[in-house]
Amino acid sequence: MKTKPLVLSLSLLLLSGTALASDDCDDPVANWQPRENLREKLEAEGWTVRRIKVDDGCYEVKGRDSNGVRAEAEFAPASLKMMKWEREEDDDDDEYEDERDDRDRLMNEQQGDAKTRMPSNGIVKGRPSVTVE
Amino acid sequence: MKKTLFALGLAIAVAMPAFAQAREVTFTTELQNYRGDGAYVVLYLTDASGTYQGTLWVAGEKSKYYKHLSGWARGSRLDPAEYDGLTGASITSGRTLKITLNLDDSLIDSGHEVRVDSAVEDMRDIRADVVAPLTTEGSGKPVSGRGYVRSLTYDLQ
Repeated sequence: MKTKPLVLSLSLLLLSGTALASDDCDDPVANWQPRENLREKLEAEGWTVRRIKVDDGCYEVKGRDSNGVRAEAEFAPASLKMMKWEREEDDDDDEYEDERDDRDRLMNEQQGDAKTRMPSNGIVKGRPSVTVE
Repeated sequence: MKKTLFALGLAIAVAMPAFAQAREVTFTTELQNYRGDGAYVVLYLTDASGTYQGTLWVAGEKSKYYKHLSGWARGSRLDPAEYDGLTGASITSGRTLKITLNLDDSLIDSGHEVRVDSAVEDMRDIRADVVAPLTTEGSGKPVSGRGYVRSLTYDLQ
């Protein structure tokens, strides 16, 4: 009779152990595939991949999944199997800031260097000359 | 005779606005020697009541940090059209930024003020670091800042 709670708690303990372990990837580094493979695989599935980085031994991907949902997912680096999927919240500041950085960069590329652009706010006439001493 | 007078009048009328419009102004912003990264600094114009009128220069290239220049951010609503073509690198401690630009004559001696907001990473944001009325009389006279800016001087040409 008394063994029941013991077995129960033991099995719970074991369960939580496996649950914890499942978050990380433990593929040996020698078997890892390059992240380009993952990018190609995901893009073929309809993802828009924004960034792939390594986190806890997994490839962590940020982007939009095949349903167009903004997501953060983790993949095993050797098998490229999905380990975790999370919806990215819209109010994630970092996300917006990254996008704004990208937009800044894009604007600079499209319109040329900031040094050659003319101001358009109507107050300043012509391009100011600037020096830092 | 009448014709030459008319031509003269026309010539003056055409030339006057161009003559009156452009006024070259040099703004010299000297920073304090503080311990910290490069400062984001914005120079902008307000009317006498402090209402935003226009951006003169933004030192600092990443627009994601512009919200820390809070007085300016509120006034310009961070509309890229307000600062497009008017941005450059941030300024490091102890250095001096000199900007020479052409301003409409009507902005001088008309109650407008030059304001400077400044911010440094992991340090306080300073709204209205400097407030200086834009007048002929004030030309060449340094105005002290209360934050990262030691002084602001403008020279009207």
